[in-house]
Amino acid sequence: MLLPWLALLCLSLHVLAAKDSAREQLVQLASKNNGVVRLDEKTYDLLTSPDRDWSAAVHLTALDKRRRCNPCREFDPSWNAVAKAWSTVPRSERDNHFFATLDFDEAPTVFQKLGLASAPVVYVYPAAEGPRRPASGKLAPYKYDFSHGFDAEPLASELSRHTPVPIPYKAPVDWAKWGTFAVILVSGIITLRFISPVLQSRWTWAIGTILTSLVMQSGYMFTRIRGMPYTAGNGQWIAPGFQNQYGQETQVVAMIYGLLAISFLMLTVVAPLQKSPQRQRMQIYLWTAVNLIIFSVLVSLFRTKNRGYPFKLFL
Amino acid sequence: MLAYSLPSDISPSTYVNAASLVRIVALGLISAAAISSRLFAVINFESIIHEFDPWFNYRATKVLASEGFYEFWNWFDPTAWYPLGRVVGGTIYPGLMATSGVIYNLLHALNLPVDIRNICVLLAPGFSALTAWATYMFTKEMKDESAGLLAAAFIGIVPGYISRSVAGSYDNEAIAIFLLMFTFFAWIKALKTGSALFGTVAALFYFYMVAAWGGYAFITNMIPLHAFVLLLMGRYTSRLYVAYCSWYAIGTLSSMQVPFVGFQPVRTSEHMAALGIFGLLQIVAFAQLIRSHVSSKQFQDLLFVSVISAAGLGMAAMVLLTYKGWIAPWTGRFYSLWDTGYAKKYIPIIASVSEHQPTAWPSFFMDLHMLTFLFPFGVLALFRQLRDEHVFVIIYAVMGTYFAGVMVRLMLTLTPCVCVASAVGLSQLIDTFVDPREPDVEQEKEGGDAAPSKQAAKKEKNAAPITGVGAIDDIVSTLSGASSPEKDKSGKTKAGIFGLDTRMVVLFNTAAMLLFFVLHCTWVTSNAYSSPSVVLASTNPDGSQHIIDDFREAYYWLRMNTKEDAVVMSWWDYGYQIAGMADRVTLVDNNTWNNSTRLTAGCAAHIATVGKAMSSPEEIAYPILRKHDVNYVLVIFGGLIGYSGDDINKFLWMVRIAQGVWPDEIQEPNYFTPQGEYRVDDQASKAMRESLMYKMSYYRFAELFGGGQVMDRVRQQQLPKQSPTLDYLDEAFTSENWIVRIYQVKKEDSLGRDLKSANGFAQGKKRKRSKPPVKRRALA
Repeated sequence: MLLPWLALLCLSLHVLAAKDSAREQLVQLASKNNGVVRLDEKTYDLLTSPDRDWSAAVHLTALDKRRRCNPCREFDPSWNAVAKAWSTVPRSERDNHFFATLDFDEAPTVFQKLGLASAPVVYVYPAAEGPRRPASGKLAPYKYDFSHGFDAEPLASELSRHTPVPIPYKAPVDWAKWGTFAVILVSGIITLRFISPVLQSRWTWAIGTILTSLVMQSGYMFTRIRGMPYTAGNGQWIAPGFQNQYGQETQVVAMIYGLLAISFLMLTVVAPLQKSPQRQRMQIYLWTAVNLIIFSVLVSLFRTKNRGYPFKLFL
Repeated sequence: MLAYSLPSDISPSTYVNAASLVRIVALGLISAAAISSRLFAVINFESIIHEFDPWFNYRATKVLASEGFYEFWNWFDPTAWYPLGRVVGGTIYPGLMATSGVIYNLLHALNLPVDIRNICVLLAPGFSALTAWATYMFTKEMKDESAGLLAAAFIGIVPGYISRSVAGSYDNEAIAIFLLMFTFFAWIKALKTGSALFGTVAALFYFYMVAAWGGYAFITNMIPLHAFVLLLMGRYTSRLYVAYCSWYAIGTLSSMQVPFVGFQPVRTSEHMAALGIFGLLQIVAFAQLIRSHVSSKQFQDLLFVSVISAAGLGMAAMVLLTYKGWIAPWTGRFYSLWDTGYAKKYIPIIASVSEHQPTAWPSFFMDLHMLTFLFPFGVLALFRQLRDEHVFVIIYAVMGTYFAGVMVRLMLTLTPCVCVASAVGLSQLIDTFVDPREPDVEQEKEGGDAAPSKQAAKKEKNAAPITGVGAIDDIVSTLSGASSPEKDKSGKTKAGIFGLDTRMVVLFNTAAMLLFFVLHCTWVTSNAYSSPSVVLASTNPDGSQHIIDDFREAYYWLRMNTKEDAVVMSWWDYGYQIAGMADRVTLVDNNTWNNSTRLTAGCAAHIATVGKAMSSPEEIAYPILRKHDVNYVLVIFGGLIGYSGDDINKFLWMVRIAQGVWPDEIQEPNYFTPQGEYRVDDQASKAMRESLMYKMSYYRFAELFGGGQVMDRVRQQQLPKQSPTLDYLDEAFTSENWIVRIYQVKKEDSLGRDLKSANGFAQGKKRKRSKPPVKRRALA
């Protein structure tokens, strides 16, 4: 009479024990590797077993050099930093969520199973049982969206919505940056005595102002904000499209503007100072020619950007 | 020595009179050119309000003109942001509407029955003439009248300013640039003369600016920055003190009278620089006073230290107040100018607006043409003299170029500065080459040096009558306003241009460039900036113009065929137009990002609701629509004629904004194909194909092609031959070119079935047993 009950009890105990042992195993694996479980096919199944009462964030990547996955290598440090931040959480909460990394070369079958053709990918598996099972009952893994880039900060804040407690991630202090800043500041103050005539000269400031205006007008902020490359992969340096440009265009256009401004400067300020009429005449003709030619270069450059532009000068 | 001869038997006063007449005529012509070049839009299309925001301004002005100012002040608009409504009087800058209201009443008092619409349409061109005049006055303070005329001509026709002030673009910027330039002029004048009167004038125009445009913060920070740099350069004067204090005290107090600004001048970080400099000036003035009475060296050192520490303490107090929350930190819109990644991360609504994108160089060239490179040269010319007022333009140049690089929209604030600096530079070039005096060649000549030495003495007392060769020198300097600085002590001309051919070459080149500039500006204005975007134009094969008037057709349909209190849902871009042209209730409108500082929480949720409804499947969207009493849904679809600014292209922003509020239900990657492409054809993702927006856009689209290939002309993709079906909405109206499509939201089924199965029943389909019908719940 009692036997089936006992058996049942044993069984459930056994199941519980199995689950506990799985959790133990994962905890051990995680602690061995700075809080990141290094997955293979078997441990992947263990981690995402359908009766899990823990949640897990799995990072699928291809770090091997042969795979030539630059984003993977770029993202990996951020992932490890966030996982490490998680390992500082008190044990009772920490063991309810795992961070794991799965490399393509260690478990290609998992990639096949998930139908993944690209990396890196981050999946968050919610707990399938226990108190942390989502109320909506949706057990499908959540896919992290890389629209905020590969930085650790947005990753931590996004994943915190799936962990039992928020991930205590703090961006590490960038000592190198602050160090350089301090060194420059100190050396600046020390040399202030010697360079103060330079700083007080209006021409230092004039050069600074003019360079700023040239560079800004050449779309430098555009390339910076949009992260435009210096040139296209095939060596083409003019970006197609009106509201678009590459880094090299900024330099070329700034130089053209600069040359044109210099030609005006030469005509207005330098040429009148010339004592000999013949030399002055040559100077004036030369700089007028420079002005004309460079301007027509600029206009033709603009025509390549704006196809419908009807005007042209010489070129 | 003269390169060419001038008539010398005319008295200098005649020259002066003739010059001033020429100036007046030139200014008049410049104003005429400025106004008429902005009328392309009226001539090509008609007298119509443009774009989106102007429609709201127009509607508000109509209220002001018909109901009076007090009614307008207390106007609560229940038809916007349904069901929240909007307190209009307290959430707008009323300067623009008040200006046209005053003009309207004035004209009517003179018995000139002008339609309010025509006043609104022509306000921007009219004010552009005033801007040209203000720029003339400003540049005159920088160099002289001839530079002023050049600057006025530049700003009159430069596309960077025309882009915001064509006839019909009835927006705050239309009057704001005039106010900006005039405030700056009054400030420079106050600084130069130390007059409290001009300081007060600057303050009054500052008040007008505050009432007119949110960009007043630019003045609020430019003037203190100028004062601060002057202090750093050791150029403190009592003139600076008087000018700044009169501007700040009166300007701040009066700006606080605008309800929308209120106590911001003492509570937010944008205004703290002005307050801080005000305090610093008091300290410096006090120190100057003490120093003039005390001579001890030690005491002066002590004074220096105490001034520095007082300033430091003031700074620390401000930082502390900000930290404690007494002073609001920089708002997102301003902060995103410094931290350029900020907006994209935290305020996608701001980042979604196309005029908040960074500027690539072709835009600069398009808007400024040759001023792009005359500008640095002009700044250099200002550095050569570096008077107090020149420092102002130099700071303006640095700040302006940076801001214009970060946001396309701020090209507008850069443009006046570019015009001023370029005009100074170019007028210097022209001065040098027009000046008939030739320098002396190495060996001094007898006739040449007697006259100049006489003139050097005469220059001191201009009044004396002059005869002979010397007169020309004087006339030239009266006309050009500047005595040539390159003269040595003996008064002999040292620098100058030899010969006539050199002069001709350079002047011819300059004239040709100016001509090219005019051609460029005319072309850009007529082609790029004169489209009302309410009415579109295309060209027929025979070259004639074809007008596409779908928007007004659809709004008119709404006006005539729907109930007066019908609620229309659309994406926020079209909110103002629906309210203005169709006079129907809207859920969201363009106010979203204008006033993001105030209305954030409520509006963000509201707009995300619309985004969610648009990006969800019909079954999920329907309860949302019903809960908001939506009767009609309006979408913009350009796939038939290739209108690229349609809702499918804006769709990702709807998804993104909805995702910000419901990250579990709406996820952006779901709307891409697994390869990460944005497609609408048969490979489109499931979420995309089921979204309300997709269905409404392509509903019955395939029928147009009669079994042929279904082509979306905007995205150049082939659509499946089977168009999507709609169960919860009925197609109510589709405009001629399919740009505007309006759908009616069905009422609940009278038998209590959900509309999908009711539809299936009507079509004779058998209900599937496996899927029990969803029980209808009462909709609260």
